[in-house]
Amino acid sequence: MSWSILAESMPQLLQAALDTLRMTGLAFLIAAALGLPLALARMAPGLPGRLALGYIEVMRGVPQLAILFLIYFGLVPLGVALHAFTAAVIGLGLSGSAYLAEVYRAGVLAVDPGQREAAQTIGMQRVQVLRHVVLPQAWPAVLPPMGNYLVALLKDTSIASIISAPELMLRARDLSSEYFLPMHYYLLVGGMYLVMAWPLMQGVRVLERRLARGRLQGETR
Amino acid sequence: MNAWGRIGEFLPVLLAGAVTTVEITAGGFLIAVALGLLAGALLGAGSRAVRAAARVYVDVFRAVPVLTQLFILYFGLVEIGVRLEPLQAAILGFGINGGAYLAEVFRAGILSVHHGQTEAAQMLGMTRLAVLRIVVLPQAMRVALPSLANYAIGLLKDSTLASAVAAPELMFLARKLVDRTFLGPQIFLTVAVIYLAMSLPLGQLTRLAEARAGRGRR
Repeated sequence: MSWSILAESMPQLLQAALDTLRMTGLAFLIAAALGLPLALARMAPGLPGRLALGYIEVMRGVPQLAILFLIYFGLVPLGVALHAFTAAVIGLGLSGSAYLAEVYRAGVLAVDPGQREAAQTIGMQRVQVLRHVVLPQAWPAVLPPMGNYLVALLKDTSIASIISAPELMLRARDLSSEYFLPMHYYLLVGGMYLVMAWPLMQGVRVLERRLARGRLQGETR
Repeated sequence: MNAWGRIGEFLPVLLAGAVTTVEITAGGFLIAVALGLLAGALLGAGSRAVRAAARVYVDVFRAVPVLTQLFILYFGLVEIGVRLEPLQAAILGFGINGGAYLAEVFRAGILSVHHGQTEAAQMLGMTRLAVLRIVVLPQAMRVALPSLANYAIGLLKDSTLASAVAAPELMFLARKLVDRTFLGPQIFLTVAVIYLAMSLPLGQLTRLAEARAGRGRR
């Protein structure tokens, strides 16, 4: 009997899983897009460097849930009322940008300084050096942690349910209180997260192994 | 602007919540370390079935959001007649989830110890457990330390999720205060600052410990 209720809820849960994927994708785009300029600012001397460092430290030192609350509830008295989904995407994206900024920075620092110097001696401009020489070589160091971040983000979207943003976890909470089958629904939803996250985790693992091998070969050449 | 003046009024409540936050973090961390050590050691066990079981634990608990795990413990178990206190559910949930993360950390630490160490210890007639405890783990800990510290900082921030199972920690008390006073920006900003005040020093400490461990190895 409880199984038929679960089966009937499946379309709703799948729809909600799509919302979870949409939230993950949008937040990832914001994080990836903001992270790069942030990383470059962080490596710059003077004020931009210090500002970027401050932003990164604050964003990484404050819980994501607190950031979501600040954006969703905290802005209302200031006249800014966002939809919960929008607030979640912005909050997760902003906090992710701080994380990815550090990932990009580590990637850029992993490129041998000789590469940059060589490019400068043949007369390339700073931006050109970055775009044609440094960034393409930074990717092998950036991709695995970026993949790990994507997996973490996919799971972290569940906390958006606490500000009642429509996604998988919220739908599970609604359904489980409607039918009072919490164990059934939360196990089912746990399984759905597993189905989404596990292939990604394996992908990152394969990527890590491949890139590590590539780098080793590069060294022996 | 008067509203900011009232922060002083709320601060004792928030600080009491921060104490519970620390309790959840510390309790979850201890369980995570214990489970992580066990699972990390079992990942390299001789028996194939034991290895597979440890692998399933590590992979499943890392692929499911910790919030879902907390809900299963707190709301789900009620369905089969087990009622946990919010604080118990939170500490247990974070502990079991963290154990899966730390298993990989300890595993990497154990693998980083040169196998000659194990062989030498075995030559001296030490039992497998003694080799692990006296020779391998102390050296593995040094490699695991930075990840361990990062995990602790992450846990401190993740403990906010315990508010969703009504554990009376910082975030939960803050939300109740906001419901009563409608001072969302003031209270949530104060809460953010309290978390920063806890996580930033922890981060500094980590960097210090990393530098020290790195120096020792060379």
